[in-house]
Amino acid sequence: MSHHLFILSPSDTPIYSLTHYSTKPAASIGSPLSANLPNWSTSAFAGTLTALSGASSATQHTTGGTVRVGGGQDRHVIQMIANASLDAIEDVMRKENGMYLKAVDKFNEWTVSAFITPGNSKFLLLHESKNDEGIRSFFVEVWEVYVKTMMNPFQSAQRTIVSQAFDGRVRASAKKHL
Amino acid sequence: MDTHVFASLAQVRILLVPIGPISSTLFEKHASEIRSFDSIRLGDIPEANNDERARFTPKPLSMGHLHLSYPSHPPPAPHSPLSLIRPSHFPLAVIGIASCSQTVNISSVNSQFNSAVLTMFSGDVPYPLAKNCFVFEEGDGTSSISGNESIPGLVIFPSVMGNTKLYIGTLLADLCSNILGEFSVLLQRLENPLGNEYLNASSLPTLPPLSEMPLSLDMTSGRLPTLPSHNSHPEISRVTSLSAPQMKRNSSLGVPTAKKRISGIGAASSDGRLYKVMADLFLLSGRTQDASIWYTEALQLFKPSVDSIWQASALEGLATISVLDAWSTGQGLQTSSNTSREPWSESSDKLTQATALYCKPSIIEGEQNMSLLSYLYCTCVLRHSSLLFSIWSAKGWGPLAFTTMLHSGPIPYVPPTVTQETRDSWSKVERLSMISGVSRHSISNVIAQAHGPWLLHLGVRERISILEVMASMYSCLGYKRKEAYILREVLGCIMDLIVCGREDGSHPPFSNGAGLGIHGITANSTTQVGVRLTERSDGNQSVLELLKRVCRVLGVNLDAVKTVDLLDSPISPATDDTADNQEPFGWPELQVGVIRESIAVAEALPDFLAVAQYALSSLKTLIDVLTPGDQYHLYSTAARALSTAKRRGSSTGVEFWLSRPIVSIALAPLPLIRLPIEKPMSALQPRPSDPNTILTGATDPFLYNPRRVDNAQDRQLVIENEVLEFVVLLHNPYAFDLELECVSLSTSGVPFLSEPIRVVIPACTDQPVILEGKPQRTGNLVIRGCIVQTPGGIRKEIHLPLATFDEEERCSRDRSSLQSESDRFKYSGLEALPWEKAIKRQSKHLAKGASDRTIRYLECKVVPEQPLLRIRRTSVTHGALMLYDGEMSTLQMTLENISPLAIDFIRLVCSDSTIAPAQQALAEGNLSVFDTYETEYALINQPVFSWNKKDDMTIPPHRKTSLTISCFGKVGCTAGTIHVSYSYVHRSAPDVSDVLHTRQLSFPLMVTVYHMLECHGMDILPFPSFFPKHLDKSSKERIPTAGIDNETNWCLFAVDVRNAYGSPFKVSVDRMQDGVPDAGSSVTIPPGLTSRVIIPIRKFILSEEHTSRPIPTLSDRQFVVDKSKLPENEQKVQRELFWYREELFKSLCCRWQEANGTRFGDLSLRRQRLTLNMLETLRSETIVVRLSLVRHATGTGSAVPVAQKHGKHYPPSYHILRLRTKITNMSRTPHALTVNIHVEPTEHMIHDGALSEIPVGTLGKNESQEIDVGICFLSHGRFDINAVAKVVGNPHQHEKGMTHLACIVGPEE
Repeated sequence: MSHHLFILSPSDTPIYSLTHYSTKPAASIGSPLSANLPNWSTSAFAGTLTALSGASSATQHTTGGTVRVGGGQDRHVIQMIANASLDAIEDVMRKENGMYLKAVDKFNEWTVSAFITPGNSKFLLLHESKNDEGIRSFFVEVWEVYVKTMMNPFQSAQRTIVSQAFDGRVRASAKKHL
Repeated sequence: MDTHVFASLAQVRILLVPIGPISSTLFEKHASEIRSFDSIRLGDIPEANNDERARFTPKPLSMGHLHLSYPSHPPPAPHSPLSLIRPSHFPLAVIGIASCSQTVNISSVNSQFNSAVLTMFSGDVPYPLAKNCFVFEEGDGTSSISGNESIPGLVIFPSVMGNTKLYIGTLLADLCSNILGEFSVLLQRLENPLGNEYLNASSLPTLPPLSEMPLSLDMTSGRLPTLPSHNSHPEISRVTSLSAPQMKRNSSLGVPTAKKRISGIGAASSDGRLYKVMADLFLLSGRTQDASIWYTEALQLFKPSVDSIWQASALEGLATISVLDAWSTGQGLQTSSNTSREPWSESSDKLTQATALYCKPSIIEGEQNMSLLSYLYCTCVLRHSSLLFSIWSAKGWGPLAFTTMLHSGPIPYVPPTVTQETRDSWSKVERLSMISGVSRHSISNVIAQAHGPWLLHLGVRERISILEVMASMYSCLGYKRKEAYILREVLGCIMDLIVCGREDGSHPPFSNGAGLGIHGITANSTTQVGVRLTERSDGNQSVLELLKRVCRVLGVNLDAVKTVDLLDSPISPATDDTADNQEPFGWPELQVGVIRESIAVAEALPDFLAVAQYALSSLKTLIDVLTPGDQYHLYSTAARALSTAKRRGSSTGVEFWLSRPIVSIALAPLPLIRLPIEKPMSALQPRPSDPNTILTGATDPFLYNPRRVDNAQDRQLVIENEVLEFVVLLHNPYAFDLELECVSLSTSGVPFLSEPIRVVIPACTDQPVILEGKPQRTGNLVIRGCIVQTPGGIRKEIHLPLATFDEEERCSRDRSSLQSESDRFKYSGLEALPWEKAIKRQSKHLAKGASDRTIRYLECKVVPEQPLLRIRRTSVTHGALMLYDGEMSTLQMTLENISPLAIDFIRLVCSDSTIAPAQQALAEGNLSVFDTYETEYALINQPVFSWNKKDDMTIPPHRKTSLTISCFGKVGCTAGTIHVSYSYVHRSAPDVSDVLHTRQLSFPLMVTVYHMLECHGMDILPFPSFFPKHLDKSSKERIPTAGIDNETNWCLFAVDVRNAYGSPFKVSVDRMQDGVPDAGSSVTIPPGLTSRVIIPIRKFILSEEHTSRPIPTLSDRQFVVDKSKLPENEQKVQRELFWYREELFKSLCCRWQEANGTRFGDLSLRRQRLTLNMLETLRSETIVVRLSLVRHATGTGSAVPVAQKHGKHYPPSYHILRLRTKITNMSRTPHALTVNIHVEPTEHMIHDGALSEIPVGTLGKNESQEIDVGICFLSHGRFDINAVAKVVGNPHQHEKGMTHLACIVGPEE
């Protein structure tokens, strides 16, 4: 089971991303409808479609030896989903008071939870199973590390976070809570 | 295409097909007439004439409506298994639309219609239930067709007929009546055990074929048609017949009884599905009460079994009914708003249930069913979302919402509340949510349920249609990023079709593709060549539009580089986009991905221009994001695409896409010998009043001189018809070698002849490029910038303003304003897109830009052609000059005029390395007056190089001339330069300007000056009275005494000269005094020795006026403040010393000559100081006192002078002698004088009278008086007698005479 974290600058540019593979088993909640998908086309565009529709992950589940490696973990698709979920997040965050927006959006097999800092930075987490409290505490810890990093006068809010310490602490936190 | 309308379950579909030759506009015209009937009141539908077909036909005066929709395409054949579970999916009737002129045979139209219907519907679908063909008569055909109108199912509309619409309405009602009648027939086929078996055979059953029907049902085939339907199912038919009369509004009777009895029939399978089909048909017939009853029945039966698909379908039907009811009863105007639950929540709940049921089908039977199940699932989700969306967009549950939900047109209906403007504004969209009570978020959640891997099960057409609906709903909600996601999938589908269509060479291309016909011809040879037979680019634009839309959402502007017509586009100046430090926006990885995809799409279409446009746009806007590999790939793709487009004859290209390729333009400095210098014409006239610039060093007295600043502006002088070089610095920020097809200068003003060049700028570097050209005329040349062209693009003029102070300041202000904004976030998300931001910033910039901003460009002043001179040769070898100190020599310089113009003005200006330090010392002003004078004297009178010819010397074209320059050795000089300024002043052309231009030729020289003779110890001695008149020859040469008449008027000048050099020198001093013959003394000094040079000088006296003048400064420096505040008398002495020294040096000429060579020069005495003693000696006395000793001859009593020898008197002792003192006043004024006589030793002599203060009386000019004093020496030995004459009453008066007399007293001879 994997988690994908994105930290977005206030202008919605990703400044940090992390893919965390949890040791917990993935809950296979695939719909029977997504079984036995046809492998019907060979053009590159069909590949895009397959990936975007989330079908490749299903293929991976059913037939282990398929050619498509990565499947549902396709980074591009994950990013597309995260990016698209910003629509919902922007909508919800204006109405909700809390910083933690749990399961704000669902797309394909992914659930998107978000955390909005007072400075309008957004933390996005794509996850497959329900783990509200874990995600909340993960977000709070990431927030703390994020604030500490941002206090560095050489760190611009627009630029990618390259700090090793930040990365290490986020990973540790992810390991702990997710 | 399919429109996923909410109420599609209740809509009777009537397919409109064109028959025969009919133009599309005509077809659309008639079709829209038909489509205007979207509902028909039940009361308008004629009753069935046959009882058995009357089950679904409305009774007279029944209320309610039949909803119609008019698809343009039949469902694809693989959908036939849906025929029973979803009858509304299929066209229940077909209307053919034909147009006919007089010649067309009506029967052929009919047969065409029939065959068209047959091809469209496969045999295993019971539809269409009715068909009709409308033939519209065209033109004024009144006669011929009317003959054979008796063909059934064919209606002819004469062109003369008015009120066609009313007629169509009637026909449609008839058609509907037919359909409703056929419903009964359809149901009859299911209302028997066999039918029920078929119905329950699979999850998506089909109708039992007609061939089986009579055999299994009844052996007597003849009775079949007449068999009343209620015979097989008496209970049901009874119910229907019972309820039929009351079915106007309320038909809830009889259902419980029906339920009981049905349970016994069809033991193998329940009747649930049958009821559900019945309910579907009732729903289609507009009888919602019946439908609702039967749906409820069916659901009851489905509950225990696990027939989830059918159950879900029934739930969908129920959900539809409640909307229809609301629509028909008062059109949904709410009266009670206090209900806790929203009116649509029931429908919504049912649809949620249905969705869940569809999602988990109990039985999965093979591939085909998967596709249909997915389809059913998706349509159910879309039904749910369109319910919510309709309510949201219509501002709540009301007529507008119903209109949206029931809309049946060929294109989806968007309520007027959702405009483009609304979608862009969060507040407007949110307002809809507030009013309607449906949040956008919830709608989006519902829509998202439809998206999943199952989309791949769907047929292509359904998939595109479902994705389209999703995208449009997201778009209306203002969820642009989600829309972009879905649109990418839509694009993927479409492009897949195009590509696959092409790869399948043998098949005709897809009709609904993007309009491209490539027939791959499989030739006999192994190579396959795709030959484009026709190129239809109808759909291409739409595909590209979709692409652009997706890209814009992700922050990529694919239109950043526009396409332009190469042929008739003028060279346009670049707009000054200050797009340097743009903030990063968007998700870089997504941007790169979407760019790759866009280019792949454009290549697949293929649209080469679009490929180039996209590649270059992304290079332009996303340079920070792209990796070097991507950059290179994009660039080469664009280049390839552009060349392909060109090869195919396209005359359009891309606009100029590089941003700021030119960093700077500078005029390469002309070589010094070519550089013209502007001078005013008046410089030709000598101006004696000018201060000597060599002293001041041409310093400007003003700290800030505006004139000079103006001169220093970049108006460089260049020369007509001579090649100019401009250094253009090109910048390539990309990771590939950038090729520029042409780079040339863009100039205005004087015509400028230059050749464009082709440049390749290496990756990530600045490349200086030299552009050459010739100005053709004199005047002003303005270099505005460069004209640059990329391969396959158009030329673009790039202006480059001069980096003046204002310009720099403006740039830096812009930069800092951007920088200050960089970390502040006013907008986030899509509002922070770069171009959105630019619009929001614009207002501020406009206000600022309004202030008139004059742009200045690089300017050159082109001056007329100038002659050119060069140094042909010089007499100096290796440019090095060796001189002795004070040496005077000459050097020769040969100049050649190598131009076709004559030179008529030459001026030489020489400089050397001693000038600058001396000037500096003068400028510092710490020197004493005396030193100042010395320094200035050295600067003015002793230049190292000098040339004193006239300026107006002429060198004709291609001729030579030689100049002689005198050199003077000055210690400390290490280098010198001779500048030759020349010009062609007196031109024949009537060019009356007040300036002339000169060019300068510089000849640098290294100078070495050896110091060899040192003067020191200058002295001036009184001329000894004992000096022998006649000297031997050698002495005479050393001390020329010729012409010395009276030693009192002479003195001796002596100076020590040391030879510090390795070779002997002969030193000579010449005397040049007025009134006395010139004389000279010379001596040869061997190396290392010192020798004294002596020469007699006649004393002189300078007038009081002369000596009282202050020490002059040779420069006309003003404000010279005398710093040493000397007392007056000291100052006077100083001035006297100065003036006498000057006079002395004037009368002496010291020279040296190499003892065994030819070199000669000056020996400078100016280092020597004149002391006061020397001055006293040098100056002629004003009062001359002469002493003499006289003894009286014993006999005669006449005076006899005492014998003297070698200047000494030898008087006898003990003799009375007379000391005769002669006083002469040589001054111009009379003086009263006294004389003091002092004899030493006093005690050995006696004298007569007083020796001190002897009054002389007043002596006039040149008067003299003698005073005799008796004196007697009392011992032998030497006596010194001094006499001093003084002016009475002025003890400090220096005008006094004095003399000395030495006598050796011995015994009388």
